[in-house]
Amino acid sequence: MEPLLYIADLEKQVMDDFHLGPINLKLEPGTITALIGNNGSGKSTLLKTIMNLVKPDHGNIKIDNMFVHGENENWKRLVAYQPQTIIGWDAFTGEMLKKLIAPLYPAWDEALFQKMVELFEVPLGKKFAKLSQGVQQKLNLALTIPRNAPLLILDEPTSFMDIPSKKLLIDLLVEWMEPGNRSILIASHQIDDIKKLSDYLFVLHNGKMLGHFEKEELTSTYARYWLRDSLSDTRIPGEVTREDRMIISDNPMETEAYLEAKGIQWSNRSSLELDDIITILLNNKKM
Amino acid sequence: MYALELPIKISKDSREPIYHQIVNQFKALIAGGHLTTGTPLPSIRALSKDLEISIITTRRAYQDLEVQGFIQTLQGKGTFVAELADDLKQEVKVSSVHKIMENAIETALNYDYTLEQVKDIFLEILHTYPKGKGDH
Repeated sequence: MEPLLYIADLEKQVMDDFHLGPINLKLEPGTITALIGNNGSGKSTLLKTIMNLVKPDHGNIKIDNMFVHGENENWKRLVAYQPQTIIGWDAFTGEMLKKLIAPLYPAWDEALFQKMVELFEVPLGKKFAKLSQGVQQKLNLALTIPRNAPLLILDEPTSFMDIPSKKLLIDLLVEWMEPGNRSILIASHQIDDIKKLSDYLFVLHNGKMLGHFEKEELTSTYARYWLRDSLSDTRIPGEVTREDRMIISDNPMETEAYLEAKGIQWSNRSSLELDDIITILLNNKKM
Repeated sequence: MYALELPIKISKDSREPIYHQIVNQFKALIAGGHLTTGTPLPSIRALSKDLEISIITTRRAYQDLEVQGFIQTLQGKGTFVAELADDLKQEVKVSSVHKIMENAIETALNYDYTLEQVKDIFLEILHTYPKGKGDH
């Protein structure tokens, strides 16, 4: 299938002390990718580069086969992007903003906009600056998702939102994906977004790409063992961390082969939760 | 949001692949008559959200079920429980009951019970059921 978003060998130096890349990423229609990383890992810079708001030093980005850094700007109607912070909306009410934004998108879904405003209880008559941060995010989402562009890019969309609203948004996005040809790239620290929405995890650490993983493939790479006997101090194959008789492995096959060969028994084996795996990835950052 | 809530539960600790767990549970629900012919199933995306897995895994399970004749997808309409031949239903019933019994025996043997003891346990449990239950 033709990727909706294609990034090859992307690199960007920001100031003296931050280097993003090289980044390689392909997003296929119908999939949701969670963009994950430590604070300052370059997630927002990457999203801005995709939107041509930051010029890369090296590499290519294509949306539906169009270069985003070229003359042709037709790719813009194929993307709806929600930045983390918005400049210039403060003086406008939600109603005014909608009148400005909706006409720019031929596929604008007015019914979805109304539904979201109602569900999230957004007062459309109030100036943006007067809204709380959570309500600003809700309005922002209501002005972004109904654009119905095939590629939806969200930069930490729910960081200030209350728990019921976060759940509502997940359901809305699940429904929004139903046509099957849309994609979402969502930068998020919310474990629920990652668990319930994402098919793939794209993990960044200090500007470096740690990998692009299919969710269950990643989960199946890790296992936790409780051994019956204590071990010698030598590191065993696959071992990531250990605490007394509990060992975490990122290569269960090798670990088990070793334990079996040594006649070491384990009383329990379990999988790891995604947040534990992400923590290991971001702390160990080997790969 | 869903056509129905499904009693499907996956275990991420199991050695059985997740897509396989989904396939087997659907088969049991369909063969056992809990899901009848024509019942609409949740979309791949909706089920993936509920089970907290990727659409890649869910799609694989649905494809398996479709190939084996348990469900069918109608373009633009969704996925539905297919009409099952009686022998297929029977086959699933027999194999799922057998599998559960086998697992139970395996567990007992892991705890160092003898086959004779397993048989006694089985009869003991059987006797706790009131007479006539399950008679046809």
